[in-house]
Order: sequence, then C-alpha cells, then structure tokens
Amino acid sequence: MDEAPVVELTDVTKIYPMPAGDVYALNHVNFSVKKGEFVAIMGPSGSGKSTLMNMIGCLDVPTSGVIKINGKSTKEMTDDELTLHRRDNIGFIFQKFNLISLLTAYENVEYPLILKLGTGDHSERVTKLLEMVGFTRDRMQHTPYELSGGQQQRVSIARALANDPAFLLCDEPTGNLDSKMSTQIMELISGLHAQGRTVVMVTHNPETAKYADRTIVIRDGVIVDE
Amino acid sequence: MSEKKKSLWQKVYSPMIVALALRNLRLNKFRTILSMIGIVIGVFAICAMGMVSGGFNDEMNKMISDTADTLTLYPIGEKVVDGEVCTGFSEKDIRNVKSAVSSVSKGYDIIPLYTSSKMVTIGKDRASATIYGIETKDIESVVKILSGTLPKGATNVIVGEKFAEDNELRIGSRISMLGAGGEEINCRVVGIMENTGMMSFAVSTDTGIVGSIEWYTAVVGNNHGLYNEIIVKAYNPTELSAMDAAIEKKMNGKADKDSDNTVMILNSYEIMDMFDEIMSMSSIFTTVISGISLLVAAVAIMNVMLMSVKERTREVGILRSIGTFRSQILQMFLYEAGLIGLIGSLIGVVLACVVTPLFLLLMIGSAEAMLSVSVLMYVPIGIIVGLIVCLISGLYPAWKAANLNPVEAMSTD
Repeated sequence: MDEAPVVELTDVTKIYPMPAGDVYALNHVNFSVKKGEFVAIMGPSGSGKSTLMNMIGCLDVPTSGVIKINGKSTKEMTDDELTLHRRDNIGFIFQKFNLISLLTAYENVEYPLILKLGTGDHSERVTKLLEMVGFTRDRMQHTPYELSGGQQQRVSIARALANDPAFLLCDEPTGNLDSKMSTQIMELISGLHAQGRTVVMVTHNPETAKYADRTIVIRDGVIVDE
Repeated sequence: MSEKKKSLWQKVYSPMIVALALRNLRLNKFRTILSMIGIVIGVFAICAMGMVSGGFNDEMNKMISDTADTLTLYPIGEKVVDGEVCTGFSEKDIRNVKSAVSSVSKGYDIIPLYTSSKMVTIGKDRASATIYGIETKDIESVVKILSGTLPKGATNVIVGEKFAEDNELRIGSRISMLGAGGEEINCRVVGIMENTGMMSFAVSTDTGIVGSIEWYTAVVGNNHGLYNEIIVKAYNPTELSAMDAAIEKKMNGKADKDSDNTVMILNSYEIMDMFDEIMSMSSIFTTVISGISLLVAAVAIMNVMLMSVKERTREVGILRSIGTFRSQILQMFLYEAGLIGLIGSLIGVVLACVVTPLFLLLMIGSAEAMLSVSVLMYVPIGIIVGLIVCLISGLYPAWKAANLNPVEAMSTD
C-alpha cells in the first residue's frame, strides 16, 4: 500500500548532555510507520529504542530533525495539541504498567475517558474493555498493588484502549511477565492490530518481535537493520 | 476541538482531579494535619484578634454615641479651703464654665456632681460602689431611669441595673453605709438606672449608686463645697467642640487670671481618637503576629506540597503521557493546597467564633457585639486569607509538577 505515513521521523537526533560528554540516544534517524502496520523495534539495552518510542509518542522532543504526525510537524504543535494527540490517538502500554497507584483498576481505565468526555456514566465501556482484556469483574475495585503483573498489564491495555486510539505504542509490554502471560498479552496486542490499529512495539525478545509485520534493529542510536 | 467548547467551570473543575487530590491528602493524613495546623493557628489569630478588636470598637462606638453630646470636666490642681488642701470645682469655677459655654451656645445643661467610692452593706453582704451626689432635677439629664422614681432627700437612692442584679436589689431594698460622721445611714432603693457600660466616662452606673446632694453630703460630706466633676450637655452636639475650646480657653488659658483652677476636659471624640490609636497599635501588633503564623504555615504547606510533587513525580509523568494537560496537573496540586487551606481556615474560623464571645464576655461583659457586621466580617476574611495563603504556597510546587518532562518523570522510582 502507498499511503502517507502516520508517523515520519526525518534526520532525528536526540542528544543527552552528560558531564562526561554528549550521549547520542538517536543519531540522524529516518523512520516511518504507515497506517495499520505492526512494527517491532529491537536492540540491546541503551540502544535508543525507548527514546525512539518516546519521540513517536510525542512524549519527548528531538534535539534536531523533524517528526511529522499525519503530515504535521510536531514543531508546529503546542504542548496542549501534543497532549490532545496522545489522549485521543495513542494508547500507551508500558513495561512497568504505569498505572496510577491511587486509583482502582476500574478508575485507571475510566480516567482517560473522563479526560476526553468529562464526567458521566462510563461503566459500560470500562467494564467491556476490562472484560475484553480478560480482567475479572471481582478485581475491578482493586488498586494496582493488589494485582499481579499480568493483571496490571491487562488493566494497562484496557486503559490504552479507552479512547479507542488508532495507534498503540508498546514499550516492552511483556518485559515483566512470565512466558505464559507474555503469550497471552501478545495474542491480545496482535488481536488489536488485526482490528486495524497501527502498533509500534519496543522489545528485545525475538519471540515477541515475531508478531510484528516489520522489525527494525537499532544500535547506538542508529537504525542498523530494517 | 471539544476543549474549546468547555466552559470555564469545566476547565477548572474536574472530579477525577479533585478525587486524586483528596485521595492523596487522605493517604498522607498525618502530614496533611500537621500542615493544616499552621493555617488553623494563623486564621484563628487573624479572626479572633479582628473580632475582639471589632467588638471593642462597636462597644466603644455605642458608648460614644450615647455621650456624643457630653463634655466631662475633671479638676486638676489643688485649692486651699478653710485651711485644708483639697481638689474640686468651686461655685466660681462653675460660673466660669457657664460663662464660657454661654459664649458659644444657647442650649446646654451644666451639671456639677460629687463622686467617690464607698463600701456599702446589703443584707449581710458588703460591696464596693461608686456613689454620686447630683441635684435631683439634674439626675435625668445624666442617667436613664429604667424603673422607679427619682431619689429625693437624704435616704433615697437609685442603683445601676448591673449593680442591682449582682446584689439582688430591687425597688424597696435597703442599703446601709457609714455616714460622714461615723453613724450608720440606711437608704431605700427607689429606682433602677440603665447600664452605661464599664467604659463609661461620665457617670458609670454599672457599680453606681446615685442620690441627692443632701444624701451624698450625709454619707461622704460636701468636700468643702467643691464638686468632683462637671458634666456639660449640649442640646446641639455640633456645638460640643466649640464649647470644649471655650472652656479650655476660659479655664486653662492665660487670658483669665481669675481662674484659680485648671481643668481636664474629656470629649467623647477625643476618647474615641485615643481608643482608635490604642486599637490601631494593637491591631498592627496582632497583624504582625498573625502574619508570622501565616508565613510559617505558608512555608510548611509549600514544603509539604514540594514533598508531594517529589513523591508523585512518576504519577505526574504517567498522567501527562496518557493525555492530562499541564493545566490539569497544576489544578491537581492547587486543589490539594486549596483543600488544606479551606479546611484549615474553616477550623480556625470556628475556633475564633467559639473563643471570641468568651473573651468579649470577660472583657466588656457582653458578647452581643459578635453579631455585628464589623465582627462577623472576619469570618469570610479569615477563610479567604487562609485560602489565598495556601494557594500561593501551592503555586510553585504545582507549577513545578505541571512542567515536569513526562519521560523523565516516568523514569523516576
């Protein structure tokens, strides 16, 4: 297919100034993702995978280069516009789950809905999402501390899907899970891709990367294989 | 986008943000309570001191308005009469006062009176009283009779309402005291006077017994015919300052060499000025004290909020990553500071409302002033000041949280 990319990075460099000298987390990276793709980003620790994902997710800004979201440069977008883009179009799934510890599982999923739609009865959608990811009803009022890693990741996926985003960004989604749970979670993500969502996943596990349509390898901030 | 269509209230108020703020406060109960104590003390100090000062001012104003037409003259210096050194106003002094007053006014009363302290016996009890000897015809110009009649002769008196209550006196009751010659004099209460308040400076009826000159002379003597006080009442209160100046010139000025006595003139407005000066000095003092406690509270709250931001850096990063605006993060921390301020201020105001009436009751014998606007206005003032102090203290930590980099914040453990 010859569609315009949903995300396009052109000559993107990210430098972290350090006392011992500048660290190039990304070094003149060119990369794009088309609608409906499932891309895996692989590489060893410290290679710049997560930095790349943060750039795609508009969580960080490059030192130089251009990132375009649906053809629009992020440099032309205000912080509020980038926040809106994250809220409405991107679902984040993190290795450490990143649930709000003060909120219950139910409220963690409800939170993005309230951010977008305001207060109201979201119970039907929240319950449906949690059930869809295989989360049992009796645990919905539990806080993250009372849940296992697998359960937390399910809640995290349900939260990522709350506003029905077209784009899923997964940063080592199975990094903290055992192999059985990893398979279940990957099946879930693969299913979400099959529904038409674009998925970009950072991983260093080749088994997990097999679910992707395309794999790129990054090392020392440079894409070395695609 | 839908964001633009949101009303200001929707932008400022988000139940989930408030819920997060509340939960965080609840989670750190002890720390919240400690930081709240500072605000409670500060707001209590501001309210209680303001209320007390307002109460005093009201009482004073009430009293001044009752005597806005009155000058009270006290003698200064000594006279030698019948070979004895004594103080007081002679008939000549009274004539001089009359001449001074008549030069600026046509309508006035000049009431000379005797006064001193006396131990009296009521039944088996003894009490201290301020006794006044006034011409019977002049008594009603000086005090208000609530019930009974004017005292006439050497054995009839009227007493103040409070004095009557304290000593269980009513019309017909008997009071006895030692006379000027050492004999026991029995008097009958024939009337009750309205209270003039403890700060009254013309005739204080609260512990007062008023009788005729004849009665006073029998009880204390006539002080060689020298009166202890002169009350000047103007029919037109606007003439009071002119009267004051005329008496001052006549009695204390160099112009009249015949005047053999000097006089201290108490004008109700001068007293009000003195009182205002004292109250403004005490108000500066109390404002400084309250300000210091509020400053300490503000520092404590800022410290608590900075700790809260530090502890919740990761949470802020997560909230930002999933689409929470900077302004909403700012609100979340400001809600926390605001809630501490609101609850602390409410407790401080309630405490002040409980303590102030007791204090007023103790100081001026009445807590009625609590219901006046000048006292009650300290309720909203206290709440607003407490809230503003907390919001200002929370502003920097909230700004700091709102401007955290989401990636760096999320990588914090």
